[in-house]
Amino acid sequence: MSFQQKNIAVSLSIFTIILAFYVLRIFQLVQGETFNATNLFRLWGIIAIVAVIGTIVMTILTHIAGGIVHKVRTNEDPQIEDIQDERDQMIDLKGTRVAYTFSSIGVALSMLTFVFGQPPLIMFSLLIFFGVLSQVVADIWRLNLYRRGF
Amino acid sequence: MGKGRIGNNIRKLRFFRDEMTQQQLAEKVGVTRQTIIAMEQDKYSPSLELAFRIARIFEVPLEEVFSYHTEDESI
Repeated sequence: MSFQQKNIAVSLSIFTIILAFYVLRIFQLVQGETFNATNLFRLWGIIAIVAVIGTIVMTILTHIAGGIVHKVRTNEDPQIEDIQDERDQMIDLKGTRVAYTFSSIGVALSMLTFVFGQPPLIMFSLLIFFGVLSQVVADIWRLNLYRRGF
Repeated sequence: MGKGRIGNNIRKLRFFRDEMTQQQLAEKVGVTRQTIIAMEQDKYSPSLELAFRIARIFEVPLEEVFSYHTEDESI
């Protein structure tokens, strides 16, 4: 697995956990009848912080652990190919396009809740849900492109 | 016109170049080893610039490294 693929795998893991946590927390708020703006915006804050810090920390830890495993297995110093060449850029671009498409559909679906007379909180909850989901889908798409080629 | 596919002889050319490794070729043309692997497995078609750089490393014309085939063409 290349340097870029490891980064995407870490991002995919983090955002999948965040998505699961978000859905679970929303259900808890709804069931506990504490689904209000204060709690929702606090959840947004937690997610933003975990997404940024978690991705950075986990990426560093993954590469350190990978380097240690490589050294133990082969007794050679690990070589980090951290350059992003044209293929990596192309895959990144294709993934970003998928993310934009998915999040655009998500925004449209979120707006649709107004049509059915739902409160704005529902719309905001769905916006974040589709935002995180689009990141997960884009990462899966990128990993798939690395595996099967294009 | 049928869908096109770009094939290449990179593996063969490496072999005839004192068995140049994928890593060595990758370093010479400025890409990662994974990109060379993907090209050899026909999983990635390089940009025109990268194609020229590879041909220059092997000191052969572009057509000797890369070939273009369409589906309706007998290969």
